[in-house]
Amino acid sequence: MAGMEHFAEYGFFGALLLAGVLLAVGPVVIPLFISPRSRSEKSRDTYECGMDTIGSAWVRFDLAFYLFALIFVAFSVAVLYLFPVALVYDDGSYLWRDFVAVALFLGILSLALVYSWRRGVFSPALRTTSQRTHRVGE
Amino acid sequence: MVRDFTDIFGSTWLAAAASVAVIMAFLSVNSLMLIWMERKVSARMQRRLGPTEHGPFGLLQTFCDAIKLLGKELITPRHASTKLYLAAPILIFAPIIAICSLFPVSGNWVFRDYDIALVLVLAFTSMSILGIFAAGWGSNNKYSLLGAIRSILQNIAYEVPLLLSVMAVVLLAGSLNLRDIAMQQSGIPYVLLQPLAALIFFVAATAETNRAPFDIPEAESELIGGFHTEYSGMRFGMFFFAEYSSMVIVCGLATILFLGGWHGPVLPGIVWFFIKVYALIFVMMWFRWTFPRLRFDQLLKFSWLVLVPLAVLNLLATALVLKLL
Repeated sequence: MAGMEHFAEYGFFGALLLAGVLLAVGPVVIPLFISPRSRSEKSRDTYECGMDTIGSAWVRFDLAFYLFALIFVAFSVAVLYLFPVALVYDDGSYLWRDFVAVALFLGILSLALVYSWRRGVFSPALRTTSQRTHRVGE
Repeated sequence: MVRDFTDIFGSTWLAAAASVAVIMAFLSVNSLMLIWMERKVSARMQRRLGPTEHGPFGLLQTFCDAIKLLGKELITPRHASTKLYLAAPILIFAPIIAICSLFPVSGNWVFRDYDIALVLVLAFTSMSILGIFAAGWGSNNKYSLLGAIRSILQNIAYEVPLLLSVMAVVLLAGSLNLRDIAMQQSGIPYVLLQPLAALIFFVAATAETNRAPFDIPEAESELIGGFHTEYSGMRFGMFFFAEYSSMVIVCGLATILFLGGWHGPVLPGIVWFFIKVYALIFVMMWFRWTFPRLRFDQLLKFSWLVLVPLAVLNLLATALVLKLL
């Protein structure tokens, strides 16, 4: 059965992944037996050796990060499609057709980059303080 | 003829257990030695001596540090999200052994031959982003969160030129099997045919491992270590272990894709492989004391507006030249 062959093939890789997880637990368990344990509540503070923190770190962050993630998804999925193309490229069956296809594909993909560049996605990181307060006041 | 561990041990599971033992032993010694090397290299570049006390040339210094770390208390911050906080070091650590098993260290000797080894390496190396985010968000510390956000943005920005430069090599080699790719470079290593791709790959790989000058996720002087600020003892040690192991992984990938893997005169292949890997790692350490840290927006712009267009053009040029030849 084809399915079983695949299982054996990647079972090796899976076993190594599992071993990775198990070995990762080891270094965390050993100190439980040999390390000191403090009873002080203070040592469990956030950033204990600094000032007392104000509020939680779980706040909303800038929407600009979402745009970066979107371009990344566009590119990385597209690159995934290129892997099979690269494997059969230039096997002699077509003269120019596969080059034109790759060029078109990369061309359209690059438009995403040009678009986000023109829309200023890559330069919002340094908004000045005055602009920030202005935005809040709007 | 290729021999893998399954041929030697007969069963897949025995082979897997043996591979784990070999890789784990190598990685432990490797990260202890690399930390020593990092300290020695940086010391020498700043006209200091570095560690000298324990063992010859201070070689046992990191070994002592590791034992000390084992005896340190593991603290979980009160406000942290416990599950994410505890899962993060495991998430970062877990895939490393499996990734290392994919590398062909010599021409006729592999742990296991996979036809899609390259895709597996790329896929599982990017899993570290999940661990970084779990660490940053789970710690509930502002430094950690800032470090994690920066790290993720940087990792996804440099992932794209990395993939595109790898694609140019795949076009040339026509294979995703790492052994095949290295095999085809017995004459000319791909760094001579694809100098631009090699350069882009190495820059992107430096950024992927969060090494200086791309170390703003950690940025000791501003973020107190970034995503691993709240980790103590061996949990912190595991982040370090993962960092130095991933240096070996990206440098090993660069060696196979661009420097011809195990090919070289006189010495046996496995020796050449490791000479090349550690030479690249030395260059990375050299970077750290040569280039100043970039500002965050410069870093993102450099990737998206310089490296990505260059990598796309390089890929197109490769495709065109392949058709003309």
